[in-house]
Amino acid sequence: MANIDTIITGIRLANPLMLASGILDENGYTMKKILEAGASAVVTKSIGRVERTGYRPPIIAEIPGGLLNAVGLANPGIDNFDHEVEIALQAGKPIIGSIFGGTPDDFLYVGKKMEQYGASALELNLSCPHVLGVGSEVGSDPELVEEIIGELKKKIKIPLWAKLSPNVTDILKIAEAAQKADAFVLINTVRGMAIDIYARRPVLSNAYGGLSGRAIKNVGIRYVYQIRKETGKPIIGVGGIETHEDAIEYIMAGATALEIGTGVYSRGKGIFSEINKGLSSFMESEGFSSINDMVGVAVQ
Amino acid sequence: MIHSIIERVDMETPTTVSILFPWDQDVLPGQFVMLWIPGVGEIPISLSHTGRIKGITVKKFGPTSTAITELKAGDRIFFRGPYGNTFRKTEGKTLIVGGGSGMAGLLPLITQESHGVVSARTKEELLFADRFSQEKLTIVTDDGSMGTKGFAVEGLKTLDLDEFSLMYICGPELMLKSILDYIADKEIDADFSLERHMKCGIGVCDSCSMDGLQLCTQGPVFPKSALLKSDEFGKERISISGKRVRL
Repeated sequence: MANIDTIITGIRLANPLMLASGILDENGYTMKKILEAGASAVVTKSIGRVERTGYRPPIIAEIPGGLLNAVGLANPGIDNFDHEVEIALQAGKPIIGSIFGGTPDDFLYVGKKMEQYGASALELNLSCPHVLGVGSEVGSDPELVEEIIGELKKKIKIPLWAKLSPNVTDILKIAEAAQKADAFVLINTVRGMAIDIYARRPVLSNAYGGLSGRAIKNVGIRYVYQIRKETGKPIIGVGGIETHEDAIEYIMAGATALEIGTGVYSRGKGIFSEINKGLSSFMESEGFSSINDMVGVAVQ
Repeated sequence: MIHSIIERVDMETPTTVSILFPWDQDVLPGQFVMLWIPGVGEIPISLSHTGRIKGITVKKFGPTSTAITELKAGDRIFFRGPYGNTFRKTEGKTLIVGGGSGMAGLLPLITQESHGVVSARTKEELLFADRFSQEKLTIVTDDGSMGTKGFAVEGLKTLDLDEFSLMYICGPELMLKSILDYIADKEIDADFSLERHMKCGIGVCDSCSMDGLQLCTQGPVFPKSALLKSDEFGKERISISGKRVRL
């Protein structure tokens, strides 16, 4: 068996596949189940300072090639999330706390708590495409990004992962502003929309949503490659990974670890162990002895 | 999104209607659809009619269910599904226990052999009690306006459960919990159909999860044995924001 463990920002993962934020990661028991199914870590649902109910359903639409969603950052508020992290930690694997906010102060408040709850790293949601005043609205403002990360870096000890949006003109500018982060997570969902032609209106209650799944895989590959090439920073690749070939493509583009979200919907919770199996046999037959040997090999 | 034209609307109780529509799709008892009222909202509704003509039976509650009860024959309805699992089958006699609109999802399971325990807040809200023959019907109302006074479990106490090979139960979670507690040490086996906040219907949002299982894809029907081992059933659930609350 090839060795499929990997280290990202000092965190050792038994395999490169983590659960992405926003899918099955609001109830501690579900996160625990996903970890037992083979994920090496889970990234929690994005948590903010105060409780939010999110948008009215429909919040999701099944489309060819993936999902379109606008959940609206529904979350219990950080003060109500300790118990879920505690339950998830029972699986004995790293929990990554995804956090969002509108100001450096919001990020700091939520990040500190997440660190106290036992998170191994923070994933900064600088990229949710469908809520005003947070997410990509923050993430597309380089000065604000720099300020948030600078502030967190001073006061938080665990690694910071900046999840960036593909919905910007120049992603490099944002990556530069976020350069104090320990790693980049690429990519968040791509702005999208669906209309029901018989109802003659948008399907999602929020009208606009974020596209995920196979449909965006090659967008993700492109950004992982570009950011790896231009910055050399550790990258966590996410977007449309469903098979071990997809996973390897992301790794060769420059990702050291990966996240799976929509793949859990299309392939079930068994997706983690299936991909790991394929990954291991590919590495053996292609002569790679570690994940690290494959990271960025395609980058020219 | 699937759409169909409503063929008929039946008033079942003063607050509950059945909406019948053609849909060329195999569906199983226990399964549900996510029903969309454009501009209002989308909610999970179990299928009460699973034959050639499909149907849902809906009680006026929130904005979306109220809008559904206002639909008329000829109106178009939008939905996606069918989602979820089904009940186990049995050769022997079945006991069907429904609380309030929980009877809707149990309707396809009623046979001439089944005994019904139909419970509701008050006699006007008893749903599908007329589908059982008189001698195979136990009525329970919270206010005592008809039948035994109290909750559904009181109706069970009047029956010899050894007569039945399987129980089918649907209703509010606390009602299901009281029944599970009552039959925990008894021989009878049971399938429980659960209801929790459901946003996506396809196993991704985690709103309806219990013990790491998604009600929408791995439920909503769970056997007695699974619920007896549960950490969350009848105790806690996740609210619409994701906050853990006591039931």
